[in-house]
Amino acid sequence: MSQSGSAITGWDRLGRRGPFWGRVVARMAAALLVAALLGCSSGDVSRLEREKYPIPRDAEVSQAEPGRYGGVFVRAASQQPKTFNPLVAQDAYSSQAIGQFLNGLTTYHPIKQKVVPELARSWNISEDKKTITMRLRRGVRWSDGEPFTAEDVVFTFQALFDERYPNRYQGQYTIAGEPIGVEQVDEHTVRFTTSKPYSPFLYVIGFIGILPKHILYDAYQSGDLLQAWSVRTALRRPERLVGTGPFRVRSFQPGQRIVFEPNPHYWRVDREDKRLPYIDYLITRYVQDANTQTVLFASGQTDIASISPGDVVGVRENADLHGYTVHKRGPASGIHFIWFNQKPGTNDKGESYVAPHKLDWFTNKRFRQALMYGFNRQGLAESLYFGRASPLHSIISPANERWYNPEVPKYHYDPERAMEILRSEGFQRDEQGRLRDSEGNRVTFRVYASEGDETVPRILSAFRENMTRLGIRVRIRYLDFGTLVARVSRHHKYEAAMMGFTGGPDPSGGRSIYLSSGRLHVWNPEQKEPHAEWEARVDQLVRASERTFDPEERVEYVHRMQAIFSEQVPLLYLLTPHEYTGLKDKWRNVRIPSMGSAIWNIDELYLRAE
Amino acid sequence: MLRYIIRELLRHRLGLICLIILTVLYAATILSQFLAPYLPTDQDLKHAYHPPTKIVLQDWWPHVQVYERVDPSAARYEPVAGETVPLRFFAPGEEYSFLGLFPTNTHLFGVDEPHRVYLLGSDATGRDVFSRLLYGAQVSLSIGFIGILVTMSLGFAVGSAAGYFGRYVDFLAMRLVEFVIAIPSLYLLIALRGALAEYFDPEQMYLLIVLILSLIGWAGAARIIRGMALSLRERPFVLAAEVMGQKSGRILMRHFLPNLASYLLVAATLSIPVYILAEASLSFLGLGIQEPGTSWGLMLKQAQELKVFTLGLWWLLTPGAAIFVTVITFNMLGDVLRDIVDPRHQMGED
Repeated sequence: MSQSGSAITGWDRLGRRGPFWGRVVARMAAALLVAALLGCSSGDVSRLEREKYPIPRDAEVSQAEPGRYGGVFVRAASQQPKTFNPLVAQDAYSSQAIGQFLNGLTTYHPIKQKVVPELARSWNISEDKKTITMRLRRGVRWSDGEPFTAEDVVFTFQALFDERYPNRYQGQYTIAGEPIGVEQVDEHTVRFTTSKPYSPFLYVIGFIGILPKHILYDAYQSGDLLQAWSVRTALRRPERLVGTGPFRVRSFQPGQRIVFEPNPHYWRVDREDKRLPYIDYLITRYVQDANTQTVLFASGQTDIASISPGDVVGVRENADLHGYTVHKRGPASGIHFIWFNQKPGTNDKGESYVAPHKLDWFTNKRFRQALMYGFNRQGLAESLYFGRASPLHSIISPANERWYNPEVPKYHYDPERAMEILRSEGFQRDEQGRLRDSEGNRVTFRVYASEGDETVPRILSAFRENMTRLGIRVRIRYLDFGTLVARVSRHHKYEAAMMGFTGGPDPSGGRSIYLSSGRLHVWNPEQKEPHAEWEARVDQLVRASERTFDPEERVEYVHRMQAIFSEQVPLLYLLTPHEYTGLKDKWRNVRIPSMGSAIWNIDELYLRAE
Repeated sequence: MLRYIIRELLRHRLGLICLIILTVLYAATILSQFLAPYLPTDQDLKHAYHPPTKIVLQDWWPHVQVYERVDPSAARYEPVAGETVPLRFFAPGEEYSFLGLFPTNTHLFGVDEPHRVYLLGSDATGRDVFSRLLYGAQVSLSIGFIGILVTMSLGFAVGSAAGYFGRYVDFLAMRLVEFVIAIPSLYLLIALRGALAEYFDPEQMYLLIVLILSLIGWAGAARIIRGMALSLRERPFVLAAEVMGQKSGRILMRHFLPNLASYLLVAATLSIPVYILAEASLSFLGLGIQEPGTSWGLMLKQAQELKVFTLGLWWLLTPGAAIFVTVITFNMLGDVLRDIVDPRHQMGED
């Protein structure tokens, strides 16, 4: 096993192969010697010696341009992974690191905008749509050389449904109250059964990275599965983090960086039968401050960065000097909004969640519509975002071209119209210009928000000014994020709040927002029965969209659902900033999708010949 | 004594300059509603990041140059050649209450709507930086005075009582002082701010911060005052007052306070800038004044962005200059005051 002995001397504290200490030490000494002899003349990094293994029988042949090996890809992240165990990971940073070395059965192709096979080779869906048979790729091996089989798949689902190991996938894979059934048919075939037809199945099944049974079975048996693959594992024994993904962890230095190197057993090859990925090292540096990240990129020290709308012009100035391009990505996929608490009734202490007269305003759709008309979101897009944002009109971001409904009711800034609507609902302005409802109550409410970044206070200040023009008094109170979440999702004691949700490619990810019984149906969550008539209509549409397997029909249901939300505006939508990604020009095979990671195909990227 | 200090101060050139600068600053703060052409929350989304408007003389009257936005994506504005609007003095604007006495809507200067005058440019939502600076001064400049008022009173009360009464009063007071000093103040601030934020609106946060700052700031002063009080206690005039049967409270107020006044004055002058800086750094860390309130620290925090430098939005950094000037002036004034007071600082020698 001739391996990366003389690699990057500075980064690696210990070689990858744990047990052979003698060899490691010898190799390190050799590497240091070589580095000392060569000095820095050959650049910072030496080429990676690739291990050669036979190509798997069912290897996927990449259709991208064949490239050449070499290169270091550096990026920055604001936080480091908190775990490398997919059953424990809750945050995007951990998930991103895990995604480099674990694969799911399926994955979402952001350019084709559809689900494509990953570890599964193909699948069959039965007549009644309740049984899905997946054939796995044959000949695939884990990064330590062990064969990958259906046993690993069954083990993964067995582990995630185990009561000893609560995790976020349990809810995801429980359909109509029943966990998905998994059974092994033969060495390379698995059969899934669901109690009801569930059309997002193929999309959802790809969320969990398949775990290696030969590595984790002992921990599973002894009840320590959630303790396995922690940050310590990556620190001390990165070779234990075995996966099928394009990379494997080479070294991890908390607070500084993680270095990935190619997985020599990866199952994708290019047209010339060269095993992907081309990149020698993938490095993520941990840089907390967003401004610093931008500066690092603009000074050529990282290969990729997300650029905020206000910084685009400044960063572009250095583009020629450091050979990068700032790509426009289009609207962001997440949604942000202010909403009113519409929860009726009282809590255990007999206090009503919202004062009854205010609840009357908040549950009145005309009141909410009037506020939408009175809120100058277009102006905010031009000022705060330098014209690089647009008002959001639907509960699904326009980034999601496939599902977004461009025909929903829209609310353009029109304070006169807002006043008209308010008057027709019995609201009047008194001599001082203050708005009062038909019973003479002054219209005032308090918005809770979490400060987060700089834009939140600015958006809220602008909202407050706009509302002042309507005679409405808005008070703002900033809480830390945890307190805010507890207030809106547990105590329900608030009038209005501001928050956002990240968006995914498939609307099934948003069902807990849309459904009246959903946990994230924030304005009135976890209802036993839909409270409002329109909420009942939404529930039906969501359920119908999950039952049908006809893609066109699904889109139709989701469009109708969006129209209802935009007419009722339970969420006062804010803006979708346009996303910009800066990427160095030296990388080839770059195909930037409209949403999601810009380097989703990092295994295909290669370095341009100098 | 006080008259002597003022006379000496006016004679001292540096002291006079400092005094003038501070008078101007505080006068501007008190009159901010009148001097500022706009409310600090008054936004104009069409004029975000507007550069400072040029004032040109035309027909012997100052006119304000009109700008147009040529590139919204880079916040670039160009002056429109030949288009100006006359600057109006004592112009009508938003209504306010002049010094809290009578309502009026007259501002020192302004221009006719829809044009706007931005002496120091505008910020992300088109609010006038000059107006925000003036309103922000209300917070940044008063926080020091309120702060020292609380700390000096508390410090004098605890310190002189400890020094005068001695024994267990002294023991308890000094242990309390040590306890307060031992509290890591930044953590306490962050914790208190986090715990109390839920119960205060951003507008009230100001009072909360002064309170927190001064409640942990009095201990140092108390310790020094106690030491001075210890030596005062043995002085003949104090003993005489005691023999004559004067009450302790009266002795503290009539005999201790005047003798400690010079120290209190110098210490107060030197600790005002500490409060100004503390407010600025707290707001900078996001623990201080919040939107839609305004303070110099908050304005600086909002300027802490890459685009301020890449797009050359220098006017957003003016609150930093204001803090700099104020702090330097207070420190120099403190120095001058100490020079004046020191020769007479001859306690325990007569």
